[in-house]
Amino acid sequence: MADVKIDHLVKNYNPGVARDVLRDINLDIKEGEFVVFVGPSGCGKSTLLRAIAGLDDITSGDLYIGGKRMNDVPPVNRGVGMVFQSYALYPHMTVRENLAFGLKIKKVDKAIAKERVAQASAMLGLDSFLERKPKALSGGQRQRVAIGRALVQHPDVFLLDEPLSNLDAALRVKTRIELARMHQERGSTTIYVTHDQVEAMTLANKIVVLSPLTDDGAASNLEQFGPPLDLYHAPANRFVAGFIGSPKMNFLGGMIEEAGAQRTRIKLDTGVSLTASVDSSRGRAGDKVEVGIRPEHTVLLDDPRADNRITGTVQVAEHLGAETFVYLEVGGKDFTVKVRPETPAVPQSQFDIGVPADACYLFDAKGQAFPRTARFNRT
Amino acid sequence: MAMVESKSVIYRKLAAHAFLWFFLALIIFPLLMVIAISFRTGNFAVGDIIPSNPTLDHWRLALGMSIIDEAGRTIPPPFPVLLWLWNSVKVAVISAILIVALSTTCAYAFARLRFSGRSLLLKAMLIFQMFPAVLALVAYYALFSRITEYFPPLGLNTHPGLIFAYLGGIALHVWTIKGYFETIDKSLEESAMLDGASPWQAFRLILLPLSVPILAVVFILAFITAITEYPVASILLQDEAKLTLAVGSQYYLNPQEYKWGDFAAAAVMSGLPITLVFLLAQRWLVGGLTAGGVKG
Ligand SMILES: Nc1ncnc2c1ncn2[C@@H]1O[C@H](COP(=O)(O)OP(=O)(O)OP(=O)(O)O)[C@@H](O)[C@H]1O
Ligand SMILES: [Mg+2]
Repeated sequence: MADVKIDHLVKNYNPGVARDVLRDINLDIKEGEFVVFVGPSGCGKSTLLRAIAGLDDITSGDLYIGGKRMNDVPPVNRGVGMVFQSYALYPHMTVRENLAFGLKIKKVDKAIAKERVAQASAMLGLDSFLERKPKALSGGQRQRVAIGRALVQHPDVFLLDEPLSNLDAALRVKTRIELARMHQERGSTTIYVTHDQVEAMTLANKIVVLSPLTDDGAASNLEQFGPPLDLYHAPANRFVAGFIGSPKMNFLGGMIEEAGAQRTRIKLDTGVSLTASVDSSRGRAGDKVEVGIRPEHTVLLDDPRADNRITGTVQVAEHLGAETFVYLEVGGKDFTVKVRPETPAVPQSQFDIGVPADACYLFDAKGQAFPRTARFNRT
Repeated sequence: MAMVESKSVIYRKLAAHAFLWFFLALIIFPLLMVIAISFRTGNFAVGDIIPSNPTLDHWRLALGMSIIDEAGRTIPPPFPVLLWLWNSVKVAVISAILIVALSTTCAYAFARLRFSGRSLLLKAMLIFQMFPAVLALVAYYALFSRITEYFPPLGLNTHPGLIFAYLGGIALHVWTIKGYFETIDKSLEESAMLDGASPWQAFRLILLPLSVPILAVVFILAFITAITEYPVASILLQDEAKLTLAVGSQYYLNPQEYKWGDFAAAAVMSGLPITLVFLLAQRWLVGGLTAGGVKG
């Protein structure tokens, strides 16, 4: 068991030629925490994981595992186990040999090795495949072998790179719950990369949101690090707000009409005025801003909390049974709302929706969030 | 479960088959000729493909047995053909093994390690290899006679010397193996290293077992090259007892007397080890070794 501390980490595959992949990453991952890395494809999640494992060196900055500086320690001595994005099973070995390979290399006592393999295989339901080669396994089974191979090493830090991405929906849910249980039982520090919002929100103690670096000279591509609900309710900036939550948050442009410490009046580009429970005391009337509204935070007009009204033109309505999504166009922008099932919405017709002041997020021209003074829950 | 095919595909298949048979005949015909010559009475290059009165005399001589000619004289075998064959096999096996070992480690470095001058070195190797060895014969001779002065066991007129000379020709093999290594996902070795393997262990326990087919190919190619190589061996080897079969069998052909029959028997014999090695190595020439290792 160990904590992981990352201090001003920079990674550049080709310094001086290529642009940084990771810039000024600072993370303090406590012992036993389950941390999930999310971010768009190519933002450096795998790279950060590989840097922690020691498969790629760090351009600058420091990495500590269990209080020990690991910059120059080879992977095997870092006490990490990793499940690769590509599984990386040894194709010429049976499942049993795959699981036991590391123990054999490390000359772990045969009886102990056998027991650990048996334990992992029972836990992951691999007992009936032990003598098969990876070739003869399904994607899900291979995935479990990959997890098992890292498990038998009893790593202090468990690194998983999109381990469920190849499974079908049902198996995904099952393995996800399995992973959560495993983490509770073993309590090892776990770092997990995923594209899946649900995985991130359900598994994580804390989420790390990374963004791809562009040439705009951003100081860091670590956008936010915090518990899932903090990221949902109090995103640090527009990027995090747009990334966390599904369907994505809607954004409407406008400017501050009346700043305030509790409430803010905003005049939208569509001409409509809107009240938001946001502390905009660091802004001034006339500042350009963007209002963010989550699709699931809209209410019907007759709801007493419908402080504001947004009007749009219906593009498409999706009836999913348990809920209905209506895709609107508001002032030339897409605006998605989640409404009660079977709400009628005829394409090209006008559609009015209520937006509570407590449901609004507000971002300044640089994309930084104004503090919210309330959290909204629909029910 | 054959797919349903249209008529035109069937005709095309027939045409392809006919073409392949024709091609095969073209390749096999010279071999049949040589075999025929080796059984033909007298030393004639031309004649029927099925000898009219076949004889085993050429083979007896090649196998080291004396024969009795029409006049009743006993003719001892003129050359130690079996010894030459043994020399050839010895040189070919050892040099093929060493070539596989050298080019594999070399290819690993080129495929997996990053060092400066890597691509330059790779290209340079290939370009140097493009000059035929014949052009360098003088250089070979000069080099090895110099080596003889300092270290005779590796010098002129020795088998180790010849093997040493053959080890120079690995550039193509390095390229071949490097290409194969690059198709094997790097994460396999990374995973092994996380499991605690040293780079050498990752190479030996993961990469090598997965590369067996290409190693077999390189072994066969190196073996064939060494068995059939003539120019360098003819320069470096001098004693009759040390010759390889490729060099020695030329002794049958001198301007005074072309002993085509004896030569043919020796030539067929030199093909035997190649066939044998090929048959043995075939079980290693399997595909799909890396299947199932990585996603996608
Ligand atoms: N070996 C490498 N050399 C140079 N650039 C690389 C290398 N590996 C990755 N990159 C670059 O680094 C960036 C981050 O890659 P990385 O694999 O970490 O992304 P990721 O966030 O894991 O993406 P995904 O979600 O698609 O897996 C990418 O722009 C990629 O092109
Ligand atoms: Mg990745």
